[in-house]
Amino acid sequence: MLKNYIKIAWRNLWKHRLSSFINISGLTLGISSCMVILVFVGYETTFDAHHSKADQTYRVVQHNQLPDQVQHWNTTAYPLAEALRNDFPEIDMVTQVAGPMSREFSIHDSPKKPRRFQESHVLFVDPFYPKTFDMEWLAGDSNSALSDPNSVVLTAPLVKKFFGFDSDNYAAALGKTLLIQDKDPLTVTGVVKSPPGNSDHQYKILVPYEFFKINNPYFSSNWSGNYQGTTFVVLQEETLKKTLETKIANWKKKYLNPQDDKRISYRLQALTEIHNETLYGGSPGGYIMPSNVLFIASMVALFILFVAIVNFVNLLTAQSNSRSKEVGIRKVMGSKRSELILQFMLENSMLILATLGLSILTVAFLTDAINANLSIIDLQLAFGWQHIGLILAIGGVTILLASTYPAAVLSAHKPIQALKNRQGTRTRGAGLRKSLVAFQFVIVQVFVIAAIILALQMNHFQNGPLGFDREAVVITETPVFEKLDVFRNRLLEDPGITEVAYGSGPPMAVHGIQLGTSYRLPEQAAEEALEAEMKIGDVHYLDFYGLELLAGRNFLTNKEAFDEFIVNETFIKPFGWQPEEAIGKKIQINEGQATIVGVAKDFHNNSLQYKITPCVLLNWTYFQNQAFVKMTGTDYGSLSHMEKIWKQTFDTSVYQYHFLNESIEREYAIEQMIFYGFGIFSFLAISIGCLGLFGLMYFVVSKKVKEIGIRKVLGASLYQNLAFFMKEYIGLVSLAFVVAAPIVYYFMNLWLEGFTNRIALSFWMFLCGGLATLIIAMVTCSYQSLKASLANPVKALQEE
Amino acid sequence: MLLQLNNIFKWVQQGGQRVFLLKDINLEVEEGEFISVMGPSGSGKSTLLNVIGMLDNFDEGEYNFLDEPVHTLKEKHRAELYKQYIGFVFQAYHLIDELTVYENLEMPLLYKKMGGSERKAMVADMLDRFNIVGKKDLFPTQLSGGQQQLVGVARALITKPKLILADEPTGNLNSKQGEEIMELFKQLNDQGVTIIQVTHSEKNAAYGSRIIHLLDGRKEER
Repeated sequence: MLKNYIKIAWRNLWKHRLSSFINISGLTLGISSCMVILVFVGYETTFDAHHSKADQTYRVVQHNQLPDQVQHWNTTAYPLAEALRNDFPEIDMVTQVAGPMSREFSIHDSPKKPRRFQESHVLFVDPFYPKTFDMEWLAGDSNSALSDPNSVVLTAPLVKKFFGFDSDNYAAALGKTLLIQDKDPLTVTGVVKSPPGNSDHQYKILVPYEFFKINNPYFSSNWSGNYQGTTFVVLQEETLKKTLETKIANWKKKYLNPQDDKRISYRLQALTEIHNETLYGGSPGGYIMPSNVLFIASMVALFILFVAIVNFVNLLTAQSNSRSKEVGIRKVMGSKRSELILQFMLENSMLILATLGLSILTVAFLTDAINANLSIIDLQLAFGWQHIGLILAIGGVTILLASTYPAAVLSAHKPIQALKNRQGTRTRGAGLRKSLVAFQFVIVQVFVIAAIILALQMNHFQNGPLGFDREAVVITETPVFEKLDVFRNRLLEDPGITEVAYGSGPPMAVHGIQLGTSYRLPEQAAEEALEAEMKIGDVHYLDFYGLELLAGRNFLTNKEAFDEFIVNETFIKPFGWQPEEAIGKKIQINEGQATIVGVAKDFHNNSLQYKITPCVLLNWTYFQNQAFVKMTGTDYGSLSHMEKIWKQTFDTSVYQYHFLNESIEREYAIEQMIFYGFGIFSFLAISIGCLGLFGLMYFVVSKKVKEIGIRKVLGASLYQNLAFFMKEYIGLVSLAFVVAAPIVYYFMNLWLEGFTNRIALSFWMFLCGGLATLIIAMVTCSYQSLKASLANPVKALQEE
Repeated sequence: MLLQLNNIFKWVQQGGQRVFLLKDINLEVEEGEFISVMGPSGSGKSTLLNVIGMLDNFDEGEYNFLDEPVHTLKEKHRAELYKQYIGFVFQAYHLIDELTVYENLEMPLLYKKMGGSERKAMVADMLDRFNIVGKKDLFPTQLSGGQQQLVGVARALITKPKLILADEPTGNLNSKQGEEIMELFKQLNDQGVTIIQVTHSEKNAAYGSRIIHLLDGRKEER
């Protein structure tokens, strides 16, 4: 019997190749896209969960009370860890981390030139770090590796890069020496495996914190500032968290001066929450995946899956109606109802099993492709057994849904009705199918409209005016201040280079590098100080970036003790000054006092998601560590020349450069990723919707062949027949639009509200989405409708 | 006595009025009879056949099949009854297009939960008897109408029914093919199978031992 069922199932699938293909590909697409999203969501929600103490580990975060707001910092003062360790025996473990920072390493193992490497993921950690965070030791002793200040632990890829050792002899790297910043020797005491992708601690080199402390005595003993220090504590149990927070609140005055004590308070944040919480930000050097983005992604995944399953059931139901004759025969031949249900379930299960197999392959392929090709963030998605299990579960549910309904409807037919193929059996389920199609249109339209709005907002981010020139600007480091003039003059000899300026950074902060300070009038109290961004620029800075002065003048020169400020409009707003009034006013900042000599028109000093903040430009000689070089046009022929000059001039470190435009684009990496992801998945959702519509139309048309034949014989034209098919779908699309528009409006408004610089939602965006859906639906339906309308009516009528 | 119909009525409601499909039908059929049912279109021939075959219900009257009161039986029992004793032959053959001749013949046996070797023997026997061994791996669409109907009859016979119900078995065939099928029926009847056929053709009706005329759902004994 089973053999007979499988045989007939296979022959049926083959006979209806087109619809089998639509069924399988539609559901495969749906399950695969849903799974890829869920794999991604799973990945992003398990950051640093692999550490054995993950549930007991907390990060110390800082609240910074300003006159008008509270700032939330992910970093704390460097001495905090040691103080906590000494004063709170109830804390299991405290570990201090500095970085990740960029350092230069050199290896002097050949008599000729030393080999130099600039490494950006250098983390300074104390000996408690490996006890708090799990790492896999390939060589060396985890207990003693970080106890000597002049030791270093390398990750496996760097052992290969530095010394060429492969996995079989990592131990050979132990005892080798390298110089950090061309100065201090460090001895390799351990080799560890690279941290997994879903960890916010992306180190390549671990250097003892003690070494950092010895070399940065000012920072590492300063309680007032936040630099790049993070403190983690391990608690015996969760209940200790609250009591510890209260204790710390009373204890901190022991180390903080009264002003800081008022301003600074500490909280504990669970390690596993760090990656999905936007309030404090991720670990330095890491990124954040906000939980609401993940929530929306999961919703998208479920919607796509839902649409795919609905389609599948819909199509099978429509298809199974054409099987009613067979059901009739089988019943007359002696089949029981349960046997018929079993037969249909088996048949559909075959289809679904094929789909599941394909889906597993697709997901495996897609995760690999995403890992390999996504450059914005370093993803290491893993497709595991739990995901395969989930796919099988989805398959099981689909089998139930897709089999029981059609099987139950069909097998309930009286055999005589089925054999005679009465009208009554045809229309059954049509209402349900129609409403399912309408529901699908709602989802498709939500996707289409949302995609349009997302695209417009992204375009606004990337091409919106920033208030300064950013084209053809190359940025490079300038390690030696004394040689800046030489470097500049030599660069300008190249006809391909038009302008050179120095400063702490471009007008818009990129790579997360932003110098902060506070400002007030000299007569105001320190508590009344406001936050500002501090930039250092030379006399060419304003012209270089085309920043417009509203009042006053440019700097005349840079000095070791700065005495002049150029500020932006936002800076003077709290004082209620007009630009002209501000000129000549004295302002106190953390670094000292100076006079405002110019007021610049507001430019975007933060990326467009955020507001323009107060910004002050100093005529300082410090922090002029970046050179801005403007090239002619966009062919960048002078890049190699610039590298040559750079190496001749500075002759020390590793040369690096980046384009300002690219760095600005990277500021929107997360938005870009959301946009791409959403774009891809809305395309998939629309495709699945279309496949479903196409398949459904196939059946609608095949049922209406006779009717069309009669209409044609009675004189209906081709267009009238086409309109007959389309009419229904236009109605459904319009109805779906009415439902979809408010949903999109609500969610897109919510998303846009997160940005200061956003596009305004307007009616035409929605209308375009609706029209696009209508056109998609029309095109999808037109092939079948056209075929039916063009067919010879005699043939259609002969069939009965 | 194979079956007995007493005062059978069947009607449908149409616009508040009862339209009778069958009106006061009385019929007794002995085993070994070959009955032809005749009448114009819409006279209720097929309805009568479906009622006898228990594929359709009636609204009033009594129906005894092998002394079982069919009118009191539940749907399920009724199905058991007809599956065991009745074979059907249709005008449109109603073979399953996705199955070969062999598999079509095998299907009723599958539903009887018969063992593999027994099934094989019975199908082979049937193929032999109808002289269609060479066609066993063909699909219905690859056969002529006459051949398809041959398979249809073979399928009806394979479960060894007491009664064959044939609804215009030659309606879709040309005269030569039709004649062959009727000859076959005659042979089967001679072997003891009871046959009730619906037909339009006087010539085909003449094969039967008794003719029943229907007009507007009423039996007209001539």
